Amino acid sequence: MAPRTAIRGLLASVSAVLLLGSAACAGDDSAGDAGDTLEVWTRSAPEPAATYKDIFAAFTAKTGIAVDYQPVVEFDQQLQARASSKDLPDVFVADAANLGTYQAQGWLQPIEQASVTGGADVADTAWKSVTGLDGKTYGIPFSRQAFATFIRKDWREKVGLPVPKTWADLTALAKAFAEKDPDGNGKKDTYGMVVPGSAQNGYTVFWSASYLWQGGGDIVADAGGGKYRVEINSDTSVQAVTWIREQFCTPGVVQPGALTQTTAQTTHFTDGTAGIYFTGPYNFVPYDQKLTKDKYEVVPAPAGPAGGDVLANGENIYLGAGSKLTDAQKKLADFLITPEAQKLGMVSKTQAVVRLPVTKTLDAARVTGDQRWSVIQEAYTENGREFPAALQWVPVRNAAAEGLNKVLADCSGDVKAGLDATAQAVSAALQEQGVLA
Amino acid sequence: MTTSLVPVRSGTSRSRSGGDPAPVRRGRPSGALISWLFLIPAILLAVYFKFIPMIEGIRLSLFKVQPFLGNEWVGLDNYADVLTDARFRDALGHTLILGVGQTVGALLVGALLALLLEGQTRSLWVLRSAVFLPVVTATAVSGEIWRLLYHPTPDGPLNSLLSLLGLGPSQFIAGTDTALWSVMAVGIWIGAPYNMVIVLAGLAGVDRALYESASVDGAGTLRRLWHITVPALRPAIAVILTLAAIRSLRTFTEVYVLTGGGPAGSTEVWMTRVISLGLEENNIGRASAASVLLLLLTLTATLVVRFATRKKEA
Repeated sequence: MAPRTAIRGLLASVSAVLLLGSAACAGDDSAGDAGDTLEVWTRSAPEPAATYKDIFAAFTAKTGIAVDYQPVVEFDQQLQARASSKDLPDVFVADAANLGTYQAQGWLQPIEQASVTGGADVADTAWKSVTGLDGKTYGIPFSRQAFATFIRKDWREKVGLPVPKTWADLTALAKAFAEKDPDGNGKKDTYGMVVPGSAQNGYTVFWSASYLWQGGGDIVADAGGGKYRVEINSDTSVQAVTWIREQFCTPGVVQPGALTQTTAQTTHFTDGTAGIYFTGPYNFVPYDQKLTKDKYEVVPAPAGPAGGDVLANGENIYLGAGSKLTDAQKKLADFLITPEAQKLGMVSKTQAVVRLPVTKTLDAARVTGDQRWSVIQEAYTENGREFPAALQWVPVRNAAAEGLNKVLADCSGDVKAGLDATAQAVSAALQEQGVLA
Repeated sequence: MTTSLVPVRSGTSRSRSGGDPAPVRRGRPSGALISWLFLIPAILLAVYFKFIPMIEGIRLSLFKVQPFLGNEWVGLDNYADVLTDARFRDALGHTLILGVGQTVGALLVGALLALLLEGQTRSLWVLRSAVFLPVVTATAVSGEIWRLLYHPTPDGPLNSLLSLLGLGPSQFIAGTDTALWSVMAVGIWIGAPYNMVIVLAGLAGVDRALYESASVDGAGTLRRLWHITVPALRPAIAVILTLAAIRSLRTFTEVYVLTGGGPAGSTEVWMTRVISLGLEENNIGRASAASVLLLLLTLTATLVVRFATRKKEA
């Protein structure tokens, strides 16, 4: 009995060791690709990845350069892992706001703006957003978008109010949605605006930055020379945040629990429990499916006392440092901003990866045949404003989000004092990067 | 734990082969070798997935981590930053309140459940399984369900119940004053059934004759509970407290799912802060330092609990 169990145990341990060994080998598959194949990463789920695949296939057909394409969902963690082994992908398409973070880690190759074919057709504002702290260009804009206000059209018509043009109109409409039973079920179970207001991942800032700007405030401002000044506790910021807090503290205007919710939980607009959502055009497709097109309208954000600025963001093409395929890298980057590639990215069977094209030669509404894109296009060109991308934005954003979240949660607190504390945290985040003016 | 098995195993197998009348085959590996072979898979897994990452974590906590440019040695700076950070201090406070509250709450509720559901009947077995469900349900799922139950409007499920009692409505996880307690309640709900099972095992070991003789002597239910049941449960309680000391400080999932640390940072705990530093802000060095500090705290808490309960057992 004893020897037999011993042998069995031995076999078990041997197989376990083998299993472990094979698991360890499986990890370094990627090292085995051919020397002249471009490795390209995008931060994409399967649907957008299918669109990217088409774009890269067109590139290979045109240039004969093979592309090893990897859509990655946990993008920054995976990129970090590849950076540790000093083997970054040759090209990656990722969030524009991450430029400073990537550059600070030394992951990006500087780009000669003049050498980019088609670069002249890219808007100056877009080029400005890819400039690093040292004044060099570290990315090529690939896609941009601006936020707009989505409103339940059927509800608005039912309560008999016009499309909001000002902050006051917006509040009035939100109140009407809360009080006048726009869904007609006889219950007071609807709200005005739906807001993903959690401080987690900086959602508070994503939503409130536009209103802060519309009120003349800001989080940080470029002080020149790669330095930034804290603006979150300026007089205009205090006024703007006071107005924002009023929305949260007036019952019904914002959905309850907004300050702990991320976009994963704010499904109120399509659930039929809230009628106003300030969000991006990436929601067109899912909302058309869930609500149908005729039930909601997309309008420019109602203007505040200082104007109608709205958050703009997008993706850049980054060239990985340490790549030996500099020529192929550049060719792919050039191709990605051609009208051909941009069009492929916009009209897709699965999910678009280019929202607003970066090349001025294309018009989003004409390419897609959807007039709502002209609202987005106009919002971007007239009022679009990006977060400063040259610095490492995430720590600054998180500090601002946590501070703002605190101020908005306390309906009777002193806004100025709350924002002063936020300013301190934001200063500390800037100081740590050495970019505090 | 695993290493303590080695001498015992090799001892028994050696004595067995020594006293075995059957002829010993030549070339057979010795008992000690076999024990080690048995242990190799577990050791390899532990080394590869536990010890190497742990040592790497301790190493990284001493650097400004920037793998591509090369890590920069900063000594204990990361630790100093964590210890002087006001938000980490707040997080520590919340973590301790949650840890102590959930431990005590889950112990009391678990013991109560065990006393209610002790017995051999089949219906009790079904009921015990039902009560145990929160433990086996993914915390993310329970969190989402509680999110719905905690809906902060007067017509939210829990608020409707409260209004029947003439109370509320409460903001629950949406209010800065109530969020931490609401998270704690969910933690107790998840943890109590597990403790119930441990207490049930302890109760099964109580000699029934003691209850009978006590009631013959005229002791009431409460006195029997206090003088027979509670002393008999000491080992079970020691186990529960030890597990709690190990687990409670690293509380994360329920907080992350329910509130994400909000509103206004009122439920931010040590681990949510570590995650946001490490994964969002890419500050791996400081996040590692915070994790090492948590490890030290957990270690201390565990030793204190072991010491305290050992004294009781003696």
